[in-house]
Amino acid sequence: MENSNERKEILDGLLEVLRTVRTIDPARLEGVTEETDFLTDMNTPSTELINIAAKVEQKFDIEFEDEDIDRMGSKVKDVIDLIIMVKERGANK
Amino acid sequence: MIAAGRKVAVVGMGGAFPTCKDLNDFDRKLFAGESMIREWPKALQYPKQIRSTVAGYITEEEMNLEAIHPVPETEWPETYVDHLGRIPDMNLATADLGCVWAMIGALEAIKMAGWTTEETESEQTGVVIASGGGGNVVSRHAWHAFYELGKKTRMAGSHTVDRAMSYREAANVSCLIKNKGVCESIISACATGLGNIGYAYRLIKFGLQDRAICGGVEGTALETFIGFDAMQVLSKGFSPAESSRPFDVKRNGFVCSFGAGIVALEEYEMAKARGADILAVIDEYFNNSDGDGNMFYPSYDGQRRLWRGLMAGGNVKPDVVKVHGTATPVGDIIELVSVVESIGENGYSICAPKSQFGHMLGAAGSVEFITALLMLKNQKVLANKNSDNLNTELENFQQKPGWNGPMKPAAEYRHLISQDIVAKEINQIVCLNYGFGGTNSAMAISRDI
Repeated sequence: MENSNERKEILDGLLEVLRTVRTIDPARLEGVTEETDFLTDMNTPSTELINIAAKVEQKFDIEFEDEDIDRMGSKVKDVIDLIIMVKERGANK
Repeated sequence: MIAAGRKVAVVGMGGAFPTCKDLNDFDRKLFAGESMIREWPKALQYPKQIRSTVAGYITEEEMNLEAIHPVPETEWPETYVDHLGRIPDMNLATADLGCVWAMIGALEAIKMAGWTTEETESEQTGVVIASGGGGNVVSRHAWHAFYELGKKTRMAGSHTVDRAMSYREAANVSCLIKNKGVCESIISACATGLGNIGYAYRLIKFGLQDRAICGGVEGTALETFIGFDAMQVLSKGFSPAESSRPFDVKRNGFVCSFGAGIVALEEYEMAKARGADILAVIDEYFNNSDGDGNMFYPSYDGQRRLWRGLMAGGNVKPDVVKVHGTATPVGDIIELVSVVESIGENGYSICAPKSQFGHMLGAAGSVEFITALLMLKNQKVLANKNSDNLNTELENFQQKPGWNGPMKPAAEYRHLISQDIVAKEINQIVCLNYGFGGTNSAMAISRDI
Protein backbone atom coordinates (compact mmCIF):
# COMPACT_ATOMS: atom_id res chain seq x y z
CA MET A 1 0.00 0.00 0.00
CA GLU A 2 1.21 3.44 -0.87
CA ASN A 3 2.38 5.47 2.13
CA SER A 4 4.84 8.25 2.90
CA ASN A 5 7.50 5.80 4.10
CA GLU A 6 7.27 3.86 0.88
CA ARG A 7 7.53 7.06 -1.17
CA LYS A 8 10.55 8.14 0.89
CA GLU A 9 12.25 4.77 0.33
CA ILE A 10 11.61 5.02 -3.39
CA LEU A 11 12.92 8.58 -3.48
CA ASP A 12 16.11 7.45 -1.72
CA GLY A 13 16.50 4.61 -4.21
CA LEU A 14 15.84 6.99 -7.08
CA LEU A 15 18.53 9.33 -5.80
CA GLU A 16 20.96 6.41 -5.75
CA VAL A 17 20.13 5.83 -9.40
CA LEU A 18 20.49 9.50 -10.27
CA ARG A 19 23.94 9.65 -8.67
CA THR A 20 25.11 7.14 -11.31
CA VAL A 21 23.84 9.30 -14.17
CA ARG A 22 26.87 11.30 -15.14
CA THR A 23 25.01 13.83 -17.24
CA ILE A 24 23.37 15.15 -14.07
CA ASP A 25 25.43 17.61 -12.07
CA PRO A 26 25.75 16.08 -8.55
CA ALA A 27 25.20 19.54 -7.06
CA ARG A 28 21.68 19.54 -8.49
CA LEU A 29 20.84 16.41 -6.49
CA GLU A 30 21.05 18.34 -3.22
CA GLY A 31 17.60 19.06 -1.82
CA VAL A 32 15.68 17.06 -4.41
CA THR A 33 11.97 16.75 -3.58
CA GLU A 34 9.06 15.08 -5.30
CA GLU A 35 8.33 18.39 -7.01
CA THR A 36 11.78 18.61 -8.55
CA ASP A 37 11.66 18.51 -12.34
CA PHE A 38 14.31 16.47 -14.15
CA LEU A 39 14.38 18.75 -17.16
CA THR A 40 14.01 22.24 -15.71
CA ASP A 41 15.45 21.85 -12.20
CA MET A 42 18.15 19.19 -12.72
CA ASN A 43 18.95 20.29 -16.26
CA THR A 44 18.86 16.63 -17.33
CA PRO A 45 19.11 16.10 -21.10
CA SER A 46 15.73 14.80 -22.27
CA THR A 47 17.45 11.83 -23.89
CA GLU A 48 18.68 10.81 -20.44
CA LEU A 49 15.18 10.08 -19.11
CA ILE A 50 15.12 6.72 -20.87
CA ASN A 51 18.45 5.84 -19.25
CA ILE A 52 16.98 6.74 -15.88
CA ALA A 53 13.95 4.58 -16.59
CA ALA A 54 16.13 1.61 -17.52
CA LYS A 55 18.23 2.03 -14.39
CA VAL A 56 15.07 2.33 -12.25
CA GLU A 57 13.84 -0.98 -13.69
CA GLN A 58 17.03 -2.68 -12.55
CA LYS A 59 17.11 -0.94 -9.18
CA PHE A 60 13.52 -1.79 -8.25
CA ASP A 61 13.31 -5.09 -10.13
CA ILE A 62 10.34 -4.00 -12.19
CA GLU A 63 9.60 -3.71 -15.90
CA PHE A 64 7.78 -0.76 -17.41
CA GLU A 65 5.56 -1.12 -20.43
CA ASP A 66 6.51 1.17 -23.27
CA GLU A 67 3.24 3.05 -22.70
CA ASP A 68 4.18 3.65 -19.07
CA ILE A 69 7.28 5.50 -20.15
CA ASP A 70 5.46 7.34 -22.90
CA ARG A 71 3.10 8.76 -20.26
CA MET A 72 5.77 9.43 -17.64
CA GLY A 73 6.06 13.06 -16.59
CA SER A 74 9.32 14.84 -15.93
CA LYS A 75 8.94 15.40 -12.18
CA VAL A 76 10.37 13.14 -9.50
CA LYS A 77 6.86 12.42 -8.19
CA ASP A 78 5.84 11.17 -11.65
CA VAL A 79 8.58 8.55 -11.55
CA ILE A 80 7.67 7.55 -7.98
CA ASP A 81 4.00 7.23 -8.95
CA LEU A 82 4.97 5.09 -11.89
CA ILE A 83 7.17 2.80 -9.81
CA ILE A 84 4.38 2.29 -7.26
CA MET A 85 1.82 1.66 -10.01
CA VAL A 86 4.01 -0.89 -11.76
CA LYS A 87 4.82 -2.66 -8.49
CA GLU A 88 1.12 -2.91 -7.65
CA ARG A 89 0.34 -4.09 -11.16
CA GLY A 90 2.91 -6.83 -10.72
CA ALA A 91 1.51 -7.80 -7.33
CA ASN A 92 -2.04 -8.10 -8.73
CA LYS A 93 -1.02 -10.42 -11.56
CA MET B 1 38.99 27.45 -55.73
CA ILE B 2 42.22 28.15 -53.82
CA ALA B 3 42.11 31.55 -52.15
CA ALA B 4 45.17 33.45 -53.33
CA GLY B 5 47.98 33.82 -50.85
CA ARG B 6 46.60 31.50 -48.20
CA LYS B 7 48.97 28.96 -46.68
CA VAL B 8 48.26 26.49 -43.91
CA ALA B 9 50.39 25.95 -40.82
CA VAL B 10 50.37 23.12 -38.30
CA VAL B 11 50.41 24.73 -34.86
CA GLY B 12 49.46 21.99 -32.40
CA MET B 13 49.29 18.24 -31.88
CA GLY B 14 48.15 15.67 -29.36
CA GLY B 15 46.60 12.26 -29.06
CA ALA B 16 46.83 8.76 -27.64
CA PHE B 17 49.70 6.40 -28.39
CA PRO B 18 50.24 2.77 -27.35
CA THR B 19 52.31 2.34 -24.16
CA CYS B 20 52.90 6.11 -23.98
CA LYS B 21 51.67 8.39 -21.23
CA ASP B 22 51.69 11.45 -23.49
CA LEU B 23 53.09 13.03 -26.66
CA ASN B 24 56.52 13.60 -25.08
CA ASP B 25 56.72 9.93 -24.15
CA PHE B 26 55.74 9.01 -27.72
CA ASP B 27 58.48 11.30 -29.06
CA ARG B 28 61.05 9.74 -26.74
CA LYS B 29 60.12 6.14 -27.52
CA LEU B 30 60.05 6.74 -31.26
CA PHE B 31 63.53 8.18 -31.36
CA ALA B 32 64.87 5.63 -28.88
CA GLY B 33 63.82 2.99 -31.39
CA GLU B 34 61.44 1.32 -28.92
CA SER B 35 58.57 -0.91 -29.99
CA MET B 36 55.08 -0.08 -28.75
CA ILE B 37 53.65 -3.46 -29.73
CA ARG B 38 52.74 -6.01 -27.07
CA GLU B 39 51.00 -9.33 -26.60
CA TRP B 40 47.37 -8.38 -26.05
CA PRO B 41 45.85 -10.07 -22.97
CA LYS B 42 42.36 -9.48 -24.34
CA ALA B 43 43.16 -11.43 -27.51
CA LEU B 44 44.91 -14.13 -25.51
CA GLN B 45 41.60 -14.79 -23.72
CA TYR B 46 40.38 -16.42 -26.95
CA PRO B 47 43.28 -18.72 -27.92
CA LYS B 48 41.18 -21.06 -30.05
CA GLN B 49 39.32 -18.30 -31.88
CA ILE B 50 42.00 -15.73 -32.64
CA ARG B 51 44.96 -16.20 -34.97
CA SER B 52 47.11 -13.16 -34.10
CA THR B 53 47.58 -11.95 -30.53
CA VAL B 54 49.91 -8.94 -30.79
CA ALA B 55 48.67 -5.37 -30.99
CA GLY B 56 49.46 -1.75 -30.29
CA TYR B 57 46.63 -1.41 -27.81
CA ILE B 58 45.95 1.22 -25.16
CA THR B 59 44.09 0.41 -21.95
CA GLU B 60 41.78 2.77 -20.10
CA GLU B 61 44.19 2.81 -17.15
CA GLU B 62 47.08 3.91 -19.35
CA MET B 63 45.06 6.98 -20.32
CA ASN B 64 44.06 7.62 -16.68
CA LEU B 65 40.49 6.66 -17.53
CA GLU B 66 38.15 4.26 -15.77
CA ALA B 67 35.33 2.49 -17.52
CA ILE B 68 32.09 2.28 -15.53
CA HIS B 69 30.40 -1.08 -16.02
CA PRO B 70 26.80 -0.96 -14.73
CA VAL B 71 26.60 -4.74 -14.78
CA PRO B 72 29.89 -6.11 -13.44
CA GLU B 73 29.97 -9.26 -15.53
CA THR B 74 29.76 -7.40 -18.84
CA GLU B 75 32.47 -5.45 -20.61
CA TRP B 76 30.02 -2.76 -21.71
CA PRO B 77 31.31 0.67 -20.64
CA GLU B 78 28.31 2.77 -19.67
CA THR B 79 30.61 5.77 -19.42
CA TYR B 80 34.10 6.74 -18.33
CA VAL B 81 35.67 8.58 -15.42
CA ASP B 82 38.61 10.83 -16.27
CA HIS B 83 40.91 10.65 -13.26
CA LEU B 84 42.87 13.67 -14.50
CA GLY B 85 39.74 15.79 -14.85
CA ARG B 86 40.46 16.72 -18.47
CA ILE B 87 37.03 15.95 -19.88
CA PRO B 88 33.76 16.91 -18.09
CA ASP B 89 31.40 14.06 -17.14
CA MET B 90 28.73 15.47 -19.45
CA ASN B 91 31.03 14.97 -22.45
CA LEU B 92 32.27 11.58 -21.31
CA ALA B 93 28.66 10.34 -21.22
CA THR B 94 28.31 10.74 -24.98
CA ALA B 95 31.71 9.28 -25.89
CA ASP B 96 33.14 5.89 -26.66
CA LEU B 97 36.80 5.30 -25.87
CA GLY B 98 38.07 6.70 -29.16
CA CYS B 99 36.01 9.85 -28.66
CA VAL B 100 37.60 10.38 -25.25
CA TRP B 101 41.06 10.11 -26.82
CA ALA B 102 40.01 12.53 -29.57
CA MET B 103 38.82 15.06 -26.97
CA ILE B 104 42.05 14.73 -24.97
CA GLY B 105 44.09 15.11 -28.17
CA ALA B 106 42.05 18.14 -29.23
CA LEU B 107 42.63 19.89 -25.89
CA GLU B 108 46.36 19.16 -26.11
CA ALA B 109 46.55 20.46 -29.68
CA ILE B 110 44.63 23.64 -28.81
CA LYS B 111 46.85 24.23 -25.78
CA MET B 112 49.98 23.83 -27.91
CA ALA B 113 48.49 26.10 -30.58
CA GLY B 114 47.83 28.76 -27.98
CA TRP B 115 44.38 29.61 -29.29
CA THR B 116 42.22 31.80 -27.09
CA THR B 117 38.74 30.65 -26.08
CA GLU B 118 37.34 33.21 -28.50
CA GLU B 119 39.42 31.78 -31.36
CA THR B 120 38.54 28.19 -30.49
CA GLU B 121 34.81 28.92 -30.28
CA SER B 122 34.83 31.01 -33.45
CA GLU B 123 32.73 30.47 -36.58
CA GLN B 124 36.09 30.27 -38.34
CA THR B 125 37.19 27.17 -36.40
CA GLY B 126 36.22 23.76 -37.78
CA VAL B 127 36.47 20.20 -36.52
CA VAL B 128 37.24 17.40 -38.96
CA ILE B 129 37.91 14.07 -37.23
CA ALA B 130 36.92 10.46 -37.91
CA SER B 131 37.75 6.86 -37.23
CA GLY B 132 37.95 4.00 -39.66
CA GLY B 133 35.46 1.75 -37.89
CA GLY B 134 32.14 2.15 -36.15
CA GLY B 135 31.56 2.35 -32.43
CA ASN B 136 31.93 -1.41 -32.32
CA VAL B 137 32.24 -1.90 -28.56
CA VAL B 138 29.09 0.07 -27.81
CA SER B 139 27.15 -1.46 -30.71
CA ARG B 140 28.10 -5.03 -29.87
CA HIS B 141 26.57 -4.89 -26.42
CA ALA B 142 23.49 -3.00 -27.55
CA TRP B 143 22.76 -5.59 -30.21
CA HIS B 144 23.53 -8.49 -27.89
CA ALA B 145 21.09 -7.18 -25.26
CA PHE B 146 18.37 -6.87 -27.89
CA TYR B 147 18.87 -9.92 -30.08
CA GLU B 148 20.36 -12.52 -27.78
CA LEU B 149 18.98 -11.51 -24.39
CA GLY B 150 15.60 -10.28 -25.65
CA LYS B 151 15.86 -7.00 -23.73
CA LYS B 152 13.94 -3.88 -24.59
CA THR B 153 15.77 -1.33 -26.70
CA ARG B 154 16.09 1.03 -23.74
CA MET B 155 18.46 -1.44 -22.05
CA ALA B 156 21.02 -0.32 -24.62
CA GLY B 157 20.80 3.11 -23.05
CA SER B 158 20.08 6.40 -24.72
CA HIS B 159 23.67 6.99 -25.83
CA THR B 160 24.10 4.16 -28.29
CA VAL B 161 23.62 6.50 -31.23
CA ASP B 162 25.93 9.33 -30.16
CA ARG B 163 28.58 6.87 -28.95
CA ALA B 164 28.53 4.72 -32.09
CA MET B 165 27.59 6.99 -35.00
CA SER B 166 30.09 7.42 -37.80
CA TYR B 167 31.12 10.96 -36.96
CA ARG B 168 31.02 10.57 -33.20
CA GLU B 169 34.62 11.79 -32.69
CA ALA B 170 34.02 15.06 -34.53
CA ALA B 171 30.69 15.55 -32.76
CA ASN B 172 32.15 14.94 -29.31
CA VAL B 173 35.14 17.21 -29.90
CA SER B 174 32.92 19.95 -31.28
CA CYS B 175 30.57 19.74 -28.28
CA LEU B 176 33.59 19.94 -25.98
CA ILE B 177 35.40 22.88 -27.56
CA LYS B 178 32.20 24.66 -28.73
CA ASN B 179 33.52 25.71 -32.14
CA LYS B 180 30.97 27.31 -34.43
CA GLY B 181 32.50 26.39 -37.79
CA VAL B 182 32.14 23.11 -39.65
CA CYS B 183 31.95 19.76 -37.86
CA GLU B 184 32.43 16.84 -40.23
CA SER B 185 34.11 13.49 -40.74
CA ILE B 186 35.92 12.14 -43.76
CA ILE B 187 35.90 8.38 -43.59
CA SER B 188 38.22 6.49 -45.93
CA ALA B 189 39.39 3.32 -44.16
CA CYS B 190 43.12 3.46 -43.39
CA ALA B 191 43.53 6.77 -45.23
CA THR B 192 41.07 8.37 -42.78
CA GLY B 193 43.64 10.04 -40.54
CA LEU B 194 45.46 11.83 -43.34
CA GLY B 195 42.22 12.38 -45.27
CA ASN B 196 40.72 14.41 -42.42
CA ILE B 197 43.84 16.55 -42.16
CA GLY B 198 43.78 16.98 -45.94
CA TYR B 199 40.15 18.05 -45.95
CA ALA B 200 40.77 20.49 -43.09
CA TYR B 201 43.78 21.85 -44.99
CA ARG B 202 41.54 22.52 -47.99
CA LEU B 203 38.93 24.27 -45.83
CA ILE B 204 41.60 26.74 -44.72
CA LYS B 205 43.42 26.94 -48.05
CA PHE B 206 40.14 27.64 -49.86
CA GLY B 207 39.25 30.39 -47.39
CA LEU B 208 36.30 28.60 -45.76
CA GLN B 209 37.83 28.37 -42.28
CA ASP B 210 40.81 29.96 -40.52
CA ARG B 211 41.48 27.16 -38.04
CA ALA B 212 40.74 23.46 -37.73
CA ILE B 213 41.12 20.64 -35.26
CA CYS B 214 41.54 17.50 -37.32
CA GLY B 215 42.83 13.96 -37.43
CA GLY B 216 41.95 10.32 -37.02
CA VAL B 217 41.15 7.91 -34.22
CA GLU B 218 40.80 4.18 -33.67
CA GLY B 219 39.71 3.23 -30.16
CA THR B 220 40.95 -0.05 -28.71
CA ALA B 221 38.36 -2.68 -29.66
CA LEU B 222 38.74 -6.41 -29.96
CA GLU B 223 35.60 -6.19 -32.06
CA THR B 224 37.60 -4.27 -34.68
CA PHE B 225 40.60 -6.60 -34.42
CA ILE B 226 38.42 -9.66 -35.05
CA GLY B 227 37.48 -8.53 -38.56
CA PHE B 228 41.10 -8.21 -39.66
CA ASP B 229 42.10 -11.42 -37.90
CA ALA B 230 39.36 -13.18 -39.84
CA MET B 231 40.93 -11.96 -43.10
CA GLN B 232 44.24 -13.53 -42.01
CA VAL B 233 46.06 -10.30 -42.84
CA LEU B 234 47.63 -9.84 -39.40
CA SER B 235 51.24 -10.61 -38.53
CA LYS B 236 51.87 -13.96 -36.89
CA GLY B 237 54.86 -15.94 -35.72
CA PHE B 238 57.18 -13.22 -34.40
CA SER B 239 57.85 -11.73 -30.98
CA PRO B 240 55.77 -8.57 -30.39
CA ALA B 241 58.65 -6.16 -31.12
CA GLU B 242 59.51 -8.07 -34.30
CA SER B 243 55.95 -8.47 -35.55
CA SER B 244 55.67 -5.33 -37.64
CA ARG B 245 58.32 -5.67 -40.37
CA PRO B 246 57.71 -3.37 -43.34
CA PHE B 247 59.75 -4.30 -46.43
CA ASP B 248 61.34 -7.33 -44.76
CA VAL B 249 61.28 -10.46 -46.90
CA LYS B 250 59.63 -12.44 -44.07
CA ARG B 251 56.79 -9.96 -43.48
CA ASN B 252 53.45 -11.73 -43.32
CA GLY B 253 50.90 -9.13 -42.31
CA PHE B 254 50.30 -5.98 -40.30
CA VAL B 255 49.97 -5.49 -36.56
CA CYS B 256 46.52 -4.16 -35.66
CA SER B 257 46.89 -1.13 -33.43
CA PHE B 258 44.89 1.66 -31.89
CA GLY B 259 45.44 5.31 -31.10
CA ALA B 260 44.56 8.89 -31.91
CA GLY B 261 46.37 11.69 -33.67
CA ILE B 262 44.88 15.18 -33.52
CA VAL B 263 46.48 18.31 -34.97
CA ALA B 264 45.62 22.00 -35.00
CA LEU B 265 45.82 23.80 -38.36
CA GLU B 266 45.73 27.55 -38.86
CA GLU B 267 45.98 29.96 -41.74
CA TYR B 268 49.70 30.68 -41.93
CA GLU B 269 49.71 34.50 -41.81
CA MET B 270 47.32 34.54 -38.86
CA ALA B 271 49.45 32.05 -36.96
CA LYS B 272 52.60 33.98 -37.81
CA ALA B 273 51.05 37.30 -36.79
CA ARG B 274 50.23 36.09 -33.30
CA GLY B 275 53.68 34.55 -32.85
CA ALA B 276 52.59 30.91 -32.92
CA ASP B 277 55.15 28.13 -32.98
CA ILE B 278 54.83 26.77 -36.53
CA LEU B 279 55.42 23.03 -36.40
CA ALA B 280 55.20 22.68 -40.18
CA VAL B 281 53.71 24.24 -43.28
CA ILE B 282 51.51 22.11 -45.51
CA ASP B 283 52.82 22.43 -49.07
CA GLU B 284 50.38 20.20 -50.93
CA TYR B 285 47.64 17.63 -50.45
CA PHE B 286 46.35 15.30 -53.11
CA ASN B 287 44.10 12.26 -53.04
CA ASN B 288 42.61 9.93 -55.63
CA SER B 289 41.27 6.42 -56.25
CA ASP B 290 42.79 3.40 -57.92
CA GLY B 291 39.88 3.10 -60.33
CA ASP B 292 40.60 -0.56 -61.01
CA GLY B 293 37.56 -2.04 -59.30
CA ASN B 294 39.64 -3.89 -56.72
CA MET B 295 38.70 -3.39 -53.07
CA PHE B 296 41.96 -4.61 -51.53
CA TYR B 297 44.87 -5.00 -53.94
CA PRO B 298 47.16 -1.94 -54.03
CA SER B 299 47.48 -0.18 -57.38
CA TYR B 300 50.80 0.88 -58.85
CA ASP B 301 48.96 3.01 -61.39
CA GLY B 302 46.86 4.66 -58.65
CA GLN B 303 49.94 5.49 -56.58
CA ARG B 304 51.85 6.82 -59.59
CA ARG B 305 48.91 9.13 -60.36
CA LEU B 306 48.86 10.13 -56.69
CA TRP B 307 52.48 11.28 -56.93
CA ARG B 308 51.86 13.13 -60.18
CA GLY B 309 48.98 14.97 -58.57
CA LEU B 310 51.01 15.82 -55.48
CA MET B 311 53.92 17.11 -57.54
CA ALA B 312 51.87 19.06 -60.08
CA GLY B 313 52.71 22.35 -58.39
CA GLY B 314 56.45 21.78 -58.75
CA ASN B 315 57.18 22.31 -55.06
CA VAL B 316 57.64 18.73 -53.88
CA LYS B 317 61.16 17.37 -53.41
CA PRO B 318 61.11 15.45 -50.15
CA ASP B 319 64.02 14.59 -47.91
CA VAL B 320 61.89 11.86 -46.31
CA VAL B 321 58.97 9.82 -47.62
CA LYS B 322 56.86 8.59 -44.74
CA VAL B 323 55.25 5.56 -46.37
CA HIS B 324 52.07 3.66 -45.49
CA GLY B 325 54.30 0.54 -45.17
CA THR B 326 51.94 -1.87 -43.42
CA ALA B 327 54.14 -5.00 -43.77
CA THR B 328 51.66 -6.85 -45.94
CA PRO B 329 53.23 -9.08 -48.60
CA VAL B 330 52.28 -7.10 -51.73
CA GLY B 331 51.56 -3.57 -50.49
CA ASP B 332 55.02 -2.58 -49.29
CA ILE B 333 56.90 -3.27 -52.49
CA ILE B 334 54.27 -1.78 -54.81
CA GLU B 335 54.51 1.34 -52.68
CA LEU B 336 58.32 1.23 -52.74
CA VAL B 337 58.58 1.00 -56.52
CA SER B 338 55.91 3.67 -57.02
CA VAL B 339 57.99 6.01 -54.82
CA VAL B 340 61.28 5.38 -56.68
CA GLU B 341 59.61 5.61 -60.07
CA SER B 342 58.08 8.95 -59.04
CA ILE B 343 61.01 10.73 -57.36
CA GLY B 344 64.07 8.68 -58.27
CA GLU B 345 66.36 6.26 -56.49
CA ASN B 346 68.48 8.70 -54.50
CA GLY B 347 68.42 11.83 -52.41
CA TYR B 348 65.81 10.94 -49.80
CA SER B 349 65.00 8.44 -47.04
CA ILE B 350 62.03 6.15 -46.69
CA CYS B 351 60.44 5.75 -43.27
CA ALA B 352 57.77 3.22 -42.23
CA PRO B 353 56.84 4.15 -38.63
CA LYS B 354 54.37 1.27 -38.39
CA SER B 355 57.44 -0.84 -37.66
CA GLN B 356 57.37 0.60 -34.13
CA PHE B 357 53.67 0.85 -33.33
CA GLY B 358 51.75 -1.13 -35.92
CA HIS B 359 48.82 -0.09 -38.07
CA MET B 360 46.37 2.22 -36.29
CA LEU B 361 43.73 1.92 -39.04
CA GLY B 362 41.67 5.13 -39.00
CA ALA B 363 44.30 6.80 -36.82
CA ALA B 364 47.27 5.63 -38.91
CA GLY B 365 47.47 8.66 -41.19
CA SER B 366 47.23 11.25 -38.44
CA VAL B 367 49.49 9.55 -35.90
CA GLU B 368 52.06 9.01 -38.65
CA PHE B 369 51.59 12.66 -39.63
CA ILE B 370 52.60 13.46 -36.04
CA THR B 371 55.69 11.24 -36.45
CA ALA B 372 56.52 13.36 -39.51
CA LEU B 373 56.16 16.54 -37.44
CA LEU B 374 58.48 15.02 -34.85
CA MET B 375 61.01 14.06 -37.55
CA LEU B 376 60.98 17.68 -38.73
CA LYS B 377 61.47 18.88 -35.16
CA ASN B 378 64.23 16.41 -34.29
CA GLN B 379 65.88 16.45 -37.74
CA LYS B 380 66.10 12.67 -37.64
CA VAL B 381 64.53 9.97 -39.78
CA LEU B 382 62.91 7.17 -37.81
CA ALA B 383 64.27 3.66 -38.27
CA ASN B 384 62.59 0.98 -40.36
CA LYS B 385 62.68 -1.58 -37.58
CA ASN B 386 62.73 -5.25 -38.54
CA SER B 387 63.43 -4.58 -42.22
CA ASP B 388 66.27 -7.06 -41.75
CA ASN B 389 66.41 -8.61 -45.19
CA LEU B 390 65.02 -7.21 -48.40
CA ASN B 391 64.05 -9.52 -51.22
CA THR B 392 66.90 -10.04 -53.67
CA GLU B 393 64.50 -11.42 -56.25
CA LEU B 394 61.70 -9.78 -58.16
CA GLU B 395 58.22 -9.87 -56.63
CA ASN B 396 55.59 -11.99 -58.36
CA PHE B 397 53.74 -8.90 -59.57
CA GLN B 398 56.91 -7.67 -61.27
CA GLN B 399 57.09 -10.87 -63.30
CA LYS B 400 53.53 -10.77 -64.58
CA PRO B 401 52.79 -9.78 -68.20
CA GLY B 402 51.82 -6.14 -68.46
CA TRP B 403 53.93 -4.92 -65.49
CA ASN B 404 55.38 -1.57 -66.53
CA GLY B 405 57.12 -0.51 -63.34
CA PRO B 406 60.70 -0.87 -62.09
CA MET B 407 62.34 -4.25 -62.68
CA LYS B 408 64.59 -4.20 -59.65
CA PRO B 409 64.08 -6.22 -56.46
CA ALA B 410 63.55 -4.50 -53.12
CA ALA B 411 67.15 -5.20 -52.05
CA GLU B 412 68.33 -2.71 -54.69
CA TYR B 413 66.75 0.06 -52.58
CA ARG B 414 68.41 -0.82 -49.28
CA HIS B 415 70.13 2.57 -49.24
CA LEU B 416 66.73 4.27 -48.94
CA ILE B 417 65.46 2.03 -46.13
CA SER B 418 67.62 2.42 -43.05
CA GLN B 419 67.25 0.07 -40.12
CA ASP B 420 68.70 2.75 -37.88
CA ILE B 421 67.73 6.33 -37.10
CA VAL B 422 69.34 8.73 -39.56
CA ALA B 423 70.29 12.26 -38.50
CA LYS B 424 70.18 14.60 -41.49
CA GLU B 425 68.80 17.91 -42.67
CA ILE B 426 65.08 17.46 -43.22
CA ASN B 427 63.22 20.29 -44.88
CA GLN B 428 60.32 18.46 -46.48
CA ILE B 429 58.47 15.20 -45.78
CA VAL B 430 55.83 13.50 -47.90
CA CYS B 431 53.24 11.43 -46.02
CA LEU B 432 51.42 8.60 -47.81
CA ASN B 433 48.41 6.56 -46.71
CA TYR B 434 46.02 4.24 -48.52
CA GLY B 435 42.80 2.46 -47.66
CA PHE B 436 40.48 -0.36 -48.67
CA GLY B 437 38.43 0.64 -51.66
CA GLY B 438 41.50 1.90 -53.49
CA THR B 439 41.66 5.32 -51.82
CA ASN B 440 45.06 7.08 -51.78
CA SER B 441 46.20 10.21 -49.91
CA ALA B 442 49.43 12.17 -50.00
CA MET B 443 50.56 15.31 -48.19
CA ALA B 444 53.81 17.26 -48.31
CA ILE B 445 54.88 19.30 -45.29
CA SER B 446 57.90 21.54 -44.74
CA ARG B 447 59.83 23.22 -41.98
CA ASP B 448 58.99 26.88 -41.56
CA ILE B 449 62.35 28.45 -42.40
